[in-house]
Amino acid sequence: MVLAGGKSSRMGTPKAALEWHGATLLHRTVAIAARATSGPVVVVRAPGQDLPAPLPAGVLVVDDPQEGKGPVQGIAAGLAALAGRAEAAFIASTDLPFLHPAFIRSVLHGLSAPGTCAPDVCLPVARGYPQPLAAAYRVSLAQTAERLVKEARLRPAFLFAECLVNRLDDAALRADPVLAALDPHLDSLVNVNEPADYAAARARPAPEVTVQMFGTLARAAAGAAGRGPRAVRAATVGEAAAAVGLPLDRHVAAALNGDQITRDALTPLAAGDTVFFMSADAGG
Amino acid sequence: MPPGSPEQDAATRIGGYFGRTLVVDASDGSARAISLPETVLRAYVGGAGLGAWLLHHLAPAGADPLEPGSPLAFVFSPLVGTPLTTSAKFAVVAKSPLTGMLTDALASSQFAIAGKLTGHDAIVITGRARDLSVLLVDGDGARLTDAGHLAGRTAAQAEEQLRADLGRGWRIAAIGPAGERGVRYATISHDGRHAGRGGLGAVLGAKNIKAVAVHAGAGKVPAADPQAVLAAARDLRARSFGPATAKYRELGTLANLLAFNAISALPTRNFQAASFEGAEHLAEHEHGQEEPSAGIEGIGGAGGSSPRNVLRRVARSGCASCTIGCEHIYRVGGGRKTRVEYENVFALGPMCGVSDPAGVLAASAVCDDLGIDTISAGGTIAWAMECAQRGLIDAPWLRFGDPGALLRALTEIGERRTPLGILLGNGSKAASQAVGGGSAAFALHVKGLEMPGYEPRTLHAMALGLAVNARGADHNRSGAYEADLSGDLDRLAGGDAHVAAAIETEDRAAVMDSMILCKFLRGVFEEPWPEWAALLAAVTGWDVTGAELREAARRIVLAKRAFNAREGWQPADDWLPDRLLTEPLTLPSGREARLTAARLRSMIAAYYKARGLDELGYPGPASDPDPHLPAPQRLCGRGQAQRPGRDPRGPLVDTPGRAGGYWAYGHYCPGKRGDGNAHHR
Repeated sequence: MVLAGGKSSRMGTPKAALEWHGATLLHRTVAIAARATSGPVVVVRAPGQDLPAPLPAGVLVVDDPQEGKGPVQGIAAGLAALAGRAEAAFIASTDLPFLHPAFIRSVLHGLSAPGTCAPDVCLPVARGYPQPLAAAYRVSLAQTAERLVKEARLRPAFLFAECLVNRLDDAALRADPVLAALDPHLDSLVNVNEPADYAAARARPAPEVTVQMFGTLARAAAGAAGRGPRAVRAATVGEAAAAVGLPLDRHVAAALNGDQITRDALTPLAAGDTVFFMSADAGG
Repeated sequence: MPPGSPEQDAATRIGGYFGRTLVVDASDGSARAISLPETVLRAYVGGAGLGAWLLHHLAPAGADPLEPGSPLAFVFSPLVGTPLTTSAKFAVVAKSPLTGMLTDALASSQFAIAGKLTGHDAIVITGRARDLSVLLVDGDGARLTDAGHLAGRTAAQAEEQLRADLGRGWRIAAIGPAGERGVRYATISHDGRHAGRGGLGAVLGAKNIKAVAVHAGAGKVPAADPQAVLAAARDLRARSFGPATAKYRELGTLANLLAFNAISALPTRNFQAASFEGAEHLAEHEHGQEEPSAGIEGIGGAGGSSPRNVLRRVARSGCASCTIGCEHIYRVGGGRKTRVEYENVFALGPMCGVSDPAGVLAASAVCDDLGIDTISAGGTIAWAMECAQRGLIDAPWLRFGDPGALLRALTEIGERRTPLGILLGNGSKAASQAVGGGSAAFALHVKGLEMPGYEPRTLHAMALGLAVNARGADHNRSGAYEADLSGDLDRLAGGDAHVAAAIETEDRAAVMDSMILCKFLRGVFEEPWPEWAALLAAVTGWDVTGAELREAARRIVLAKRAFNAREGWQPADDWLPDRLLTEPLTLPSGREARLTAARLRSMIAAYYKARGLDELGYPGPASDPDPHLPAPQRLCGRGQAQRPGRDPRGPLVDTPGRAGGYWAYGHYCPGKRGDGNAHHR
């Protein structure tokens, strides 16, 4: 679930629409969430807010009932929309340009932490702050959150006070070996609030990913390095294809980490990803 | 419309057809021509579609496929003989001895052209010759000659001998020794290409026919608009050199191997895994290694590959009238050259755990020589390997990963002398029923047809396609994997989009197999339905549209299903093996790939609804009655044998108020399906 209804006051322009490697920040956040989870992705926006296109296919958009009520209202609206569709949701703000799928999976896993009564919230407390907009919530909290909005208790802390919270500090997060390997500095929690933050984030090099090609693609783009695996820097599937000189047309498909298959050049990549390029004219 | 109706004259006026079928009784060599009305040709097109119609009319209901009375049809198409690329194909259609249902298999090349130019759109064989014979068909009709000297020969040897015996212009389709001996997945082969699936070779063998030889007669069948056909042929030819066919042209279907391995879609060790640690050994040709000037022969070890033990492409060729040229010939070292496809490498390699290239290539060559379907052979042997591992059959030598064991099993199947060889020659379903002891759980088939190399747990659209297809577990009649691999849907979360994709690809296959065009050409069509309609219109002169072709596709799919229903198909037959529904896979990403029974059940229900079938999958009141098929009372009378046992799908649906019976072509047939309904509750 991605909360996109913030005012972006300090940025001076809607953060959801900030350019990110050919797409927008919202597109990246939504697509990363889709990669990390098996359920639907919900975007919660301010009433009537224009969302930047394109969004990945299948995204469910819901409106905050009122403007300016803060994140608890967005949490309530999004969780309500997920009722019957999911048991839990990872909730992110739109301004996390380095959010990693491994971080989402790790935090969601915190809802089933052994040795505890099933928590309602898994809340990272890392990089110096609680991170309620990079946390996991049970969908059953929707009604509680709605009541808090009606009571004008609009801070997430009020919600946490009424449920069981599993707090994960930096060390606890890094105890997940997959997350520690793929996001050792917990850059998933880096957010951009001001133009300078955005400029700094945009100036970072694209993540390092591995590319491997099969079949005729390996021959077409082989060069000296052959079919791979090759390490390249790329923030999207399109950038990865370009890095190995591969035209990404309708005859080419990409499989991310042997899992999701896509032909969308804007599909975001994260550090440690492996991209398999293969003929879309598969089978036979 | 029954055969022999007065519409014959109309049929002979249209382009692309002769408007008649030759029916040969192998018992005495007699033959008769029956007319094919234009309405039927337009409704069923040709090839697999026309074959289904012929089976409805000519196959006695409930007959054993190996009985003399069961027909086997070689069916041609309106496009055969035109300059359209990949059009030189023919279909072979019969009731399968492996599944007890309709099977149709396609092969290519000059047999298709010469066969059609005998003056017939189909050649149907019934009866059983007294001695092993060759059926000769030319412009003068049909006759039988002795084939005693061909007994036990491979199909290639028989073909070569007959070319020498008969002289110039004769084209031959033959069976190998497995077909003569009744292996239930024996093939019919022409010029090294097999009409492979479902045991059509066994059907021909049961008729004591070693080969069918055809020679063009004097008759011609011009296209209605030759200039338009020529222009289309030039256009298609140009497109066939484009990127959509690059894979087939440059590497062949074997290019799938590493890609499927990377995405956990490569069935391994009887579907116990979906990726194979030895895949790289079987795909070192992708590294572009050159053929050595000298090599070694024989079989390597149980795994690994030395520099000499590598599959090397040594030649490439194509069918008649084809500009793609997908056939890639491989060999290991100085060994025998063999045609290799993804499916035979999958079935004889990963499926059996064999990573030795020389072993897999040798096994492929043995299958060619015996004349057996590599997919069913590999699937059946993989079942036996798992049974041996679990102590369910007494064959401790039959181990996963051992190429020597693979070759020995194939030899025993072909010789059909040992108990194991006889057992495995019946296919995994029948073999598991004979062995019992829970061995059916390791028989990976649908309707008795062994699974091809597409992992349903990671390809959910394909899972549906495999479950509901009339021929059984088959990747050529359902190309739903295209949707899974397209990136347009989540291949691990089957739903409505997957159902729609499965139907679309099944329809496309039905038309391509009937017109006939090679499916390797499918990617060159931007708007396939209107483009195919234009091709058919140019050949026939019909004002056929894409919408009409879509309707024909649906009709053909339903005709096959209706034939199966007549022959005893049960709702439980539209299902996947339990292993695929109870043993999830873990992808390299860490994500779990699981196909649940509930998800599959839901997709099947949606498929039935979209097809206009009833809740159990029978042609129902929502299916348009097809006036071209036989009257319903003939369908209700026989072939409703019920299979005992539990429906593995569980309580799919209930049909309150229905005491039994089913809809066939718009007529309700009461009481003929009672047991089938009962055991679903």
